[in-house]
Amino acid sequence: MKNLLILALAMLLAACGTVRKVESGANLVGERMSIKVDGNWNHLDFPGIKPAQIWTMEGVTIDELLVYSGIRDGQIMHPDSPASEKRKDFVFRKTMQTEEIVSMLEGVLSRDGSTFKLRKLEPYPFGGRKGFRFEYERVRKIDNVQMRGVGFGAIDKEELFALVYQAPRLTFFPRHQSRIETIAKAVSIK
Amino acid sequence: MKHHLRSFIRIFRAILLPALALLASTPAYPDARNLAPGFSSLPKSAKVLIMPPDVELFSISGGGVVEPKADWTAAAHTHLHAALTGKATELALQTQQLAEQDADELAEISALHAAVARSIAFHHMGIGSFALPTKNGKLDWSMGDAVKPVLDKSAADYALFIWLRDSYASSERKAAMIALALLGVGVAGGMQIGYASLVDLRTGQVVWFNRLARADGDLREAEPAAETVKALLDQFPNSK
Amino acid sequence: MKRRQLLAAGCACCASVIAGRAWGQAAPDYLAPQRFQRPDLTTDEGGLWAMMDREEKALRRSPLVLRDAKLTTYVQDLACRLGAGHCPDIRIFLVRTPQFNASMAPNGMLQIWTGLLLRMENEAQLAAVIGHEIGHYLQRHSVERLRDIKSRAAAGQVLALFGLAGAIGQLAVLAGSFAYSRDHEHEADRIGAYLMHRAGYPVAESAAVWSNLLDEARAREGEEPSQSSPLFATHPVPPERRDNLAQLAKLMPGGSDGKDRYAEHTVHLLDEWLQDEIKRGQYAESLVLLSRRIAAGSAPDLMRYYRGEVHRLRGMTGDHDLAWNDYQAAAAGAVPPPPAFRGIGLVARQRGQKDEARHAFARYLDLAPDAPDAALIQSYITELSS
Repeated sequence: MKNLLILALAMLLAACGTVRKVESGANLVGERMSIKVDGNWNHLDFPGIKPAQIWTMEGVTIDELLVYSGIRDGQIMHPDSPASEKRKDFVFRKTMQTEEIVSMLEGVLSRDGSTFKLRKLEPYPFGGRKGFRFEYERVRKIDNVQMRGVGFGAIDKEELFALVYQAPRLTFFPRHQSRIETIAKAVSIK
Repeated sequence: MKHHLRSFIRIFRAILLPALALLASTPAYPDARNLAPGFSSLPKSAKVLIMPPDVELFSISGGGVVEPKADWTAAAHTHLHAALTGKATELALQTQQLAEQDADELAEISALHAAVARSIAFHHMGIGSFALPTKNGKLDWSMGDAVKPVLDKSAADYALFIWLRDSYASSERKAAMIALALLGVGVAGGMQIGYASLVDLRTGQVVWFNRLARADGDLREAEPAAETVKALLDQFPNSK
Repeated sequence: MKRRQLLAAGCACCASVIAGRAWGQAAPDYLAPQRFQRPDLTTDEGGLWAMMDREEKALRRSPLVLRDAKLTTYVQDLACRLGAGHCPDIRIFLVRTPQFNASMAPNGMLQIWTGLLLRMENEAQLAAVIGHEIGHYLQRHSVERLRDIKSRAAAGQVLALFGLAGAIGQLAVLAGSFAYSRDHEHEADRIGAYLMHRAGYPVAESAAVWSNLLDEARAREGEEPSQSSPLFATHPVPPERRDNLAQLAKLMPGGSDGKDRYAEHTVHLLDEWLQDEIKRGQYAESLVLLSRRIAAGSAPDLMRYYRGEVHRLRGMTGDHDLAWNDYQAAAAGAVPPPPAFRGIGLVARQRGQKDEARHAFARYLDLAPDAPDAALIQSYITELSS
C-alpha cells in the first residue's frame, strides 16, 4: 500500500516538472532573445515559474538563473507562484523606468519573506540596448541561506528582457559569477 | 497575529516537501551513486566531525494530525549517537561532536549544506526526470572553501551531517488505514525520511551521500534504531 | 483556582452582549499562575515545548533575527515589566519580516516581526501586543488549541480519505485552525489590558493598535478586511475587539504612552523597515500608515520621502504629482533624506524638466556619493547635460 503511495507520488511529481539540457552555444528563449552559453546548463521546467524560465547549474535549492524574455505590458510576474497567494501582484508596464523595473524585481524576489538589499545599480548595454545591471544581497526566508545576486535587463519594443542570477554568497555565487557576466554580455535581442 | 501558523507551515515544509523530494526515488541504484567520482574510501583513523543531527519524531493520530513527540525524539538522539559510535569503531575512525555553541557560529555553513543536500536528494537521488544533465549522473557537488571555518574549528578531516524525520501512525490510524485500503484508498501512514552526507573539509566536496525514504524503520527503540542507522549509512565508504 | 474563575468569567464575557461587564464595576484583577515547569517529555505539551525549543534554536541562528542590542534589550525589559514573575522565562526575538505579527510559544520564545514594530506608535502599543501574547502564554492557550485540533481531527477522518493529498489538506487545515479561538483572543486581550495597566500604560492604546490596523485593511482596494488578511479571517473582527478594549480602557484609566522612548529606540531602524514595507507592493496600506505618521509628526521627512516613493511606484494617474509634492516637502525638511532629491530628479526627468532633474540628481550624489545607484544617476546627469 505504501509503495503504491510512493509510486503515485513519484508519478505526480514526474507529471508536474522536468529538467532539460540547455546545449552549449546559442539558445533562443521566447521569440526574440538569444542566449549564448559556453558549456551546458539545466533548464527546470516546473509549474509556477512563468513567465520566466529557470536555469540552474547546481540544483533548484542552490542557484537559479531567471530568464525573462519578451515580457509584455500588463503581464503579471509569476502569477502561479505559491508566494503570490494573498500577496500583491507585480505587473510589468512598458512605461517603467529602470528604477521601477528594479523595484518590481525586488518585490518579486522578496515576496516569499526574503530580505533584499540593493548593492549596485548601473547602466549596462544589454542585448545591444540601453539597459541596466544590478547587484543585491538576499536572505532566503525559507531556509536562512544568505544569497548574492546579479541582474541585467533592458526594454526593447515595449517588452522586458532580463536575466537574474542568484546563489549562496559562500562558494556558489563566486563560482558562477564570471560565467553569468559572460552570458549577459553575449545576449542578443532580435 | 497568526501565532503558530508559521511553525506548522515550517513542519509542513520540513516534513512534506523533503518527503516529496525523497520519496520520488528509485529503490535500487549502483554503489557509485553514493560516492563522489574518484572517492572510494576513508583513510584509517580519519577524523570525522559529527554535526549535531537534526532529528525529529512525530506521531500521526487517527485523524491524521501530526504531533511532535519529544520523548521519542530524545530517545532517537541517544540511539543514533550509540549507533554512530559503533559504526566509527567498526571502521576505526575517530569521531568528535560539535558543541552547540560552535554550531551557532557555523550556522551559515549548516544552512548552506542543507540547501546542497536538498538538491542532491532531489536531482541526484530522485527520479530520473529530475537529474541535472550537467552532472552526468555523478555525485558532483562541492561546497568549496565555504567549509574552511569548520576545518579551523575542529581540525577534523570530514564532517557528517544527518537529517531525519520519522513519523508513526497510532493504532487507530493503522486500523483506519487498513479499513480504507480494503476500499481501495491509500492513506498516509508513518514514514521515515532523511539523509546523511559526508563532506571533505579540505575540499568541500560531498564525498558520500545517502537518503532514506521508506515506510518502515523505527528510531524509538535501540534495536530498530541501529537498523535505521545501518540503512542510512548503507554504502558508507570503508576505511583503509 | 482563581485562574479557573477568570476563565469562567472570560467565557461569560464573550457570551454576554455588553462586553466588559464580566469584570464588574471594580478595577479588574488577574492572578497570574506560578512560573511553568518544563512539562514531561511524554506529554503532548512536552512535545510542543521540544518542537518550539528546536524552532528557537533555528531562530537564534537565523540571519533574519535583528542583532540590535539596544532595541532587543529595550523590548526584553518591557516584556519583563509586563510578565512580572515570568520574566526569566521570556526570550525576545525580533524578526526582520515586514508583516504585522507577534507570537509567543509555550516554551517562552516571543517573536515579534519588524512589520509590527514599524506600526507601533508608542511604547504602550507595543506593551499591548506583548501583554496580549503573554496572556496567551499564561493561560497556556496553545496547548488547549492542540488538544482541540486533535479531538476535532479524530472526528474528521474524511479528510484523510484522499491519501497524501488528504494529509496535506489536513496539515493545511491544522495550520489554518491553529490561530486561537475567539474566546482565547478575548481572554488574552483582557489579560494584556490588565498587565499593561499595571505596568503604567494607557489601555486605550491597545484599542488604537486594532483601529490603525483596520484602517490599513480597509484601504486595500476592492476587498473586505476579512478577505484581505488572514489575520482578520481567524481573529475576532477588529471592530469588536477594538470596542471591547476601549470599554476596558474606561475601567482602567491612566498611564503614560512612552512615545518618545519608543521613538528613541527605533529611529535608527526606521529606514530599513520602511524599505521592506514598500517592497511588499501593498501601496494602499502603506499610504495609510505613512499618512498617519506624517499627520502625527513622527519622523515626518522620512515618512514623506517614503510616501513619495509609494506614489511613484504605484504610478497611477496623478501619482507623480503627489510624489513630487512629498519629495519636495521631504527635501525642504529639517533632516532631508538624500534619496528625496533622487525622487525629485526622477519625476523631473520624466516630465522633461532637464535642469531641475540635473540639479536634484547632483544634490543626491553630493549627499550620498556611495549610494548603490550612484553610477546610474551619474549617467542620467551626463545624459541631461548633453
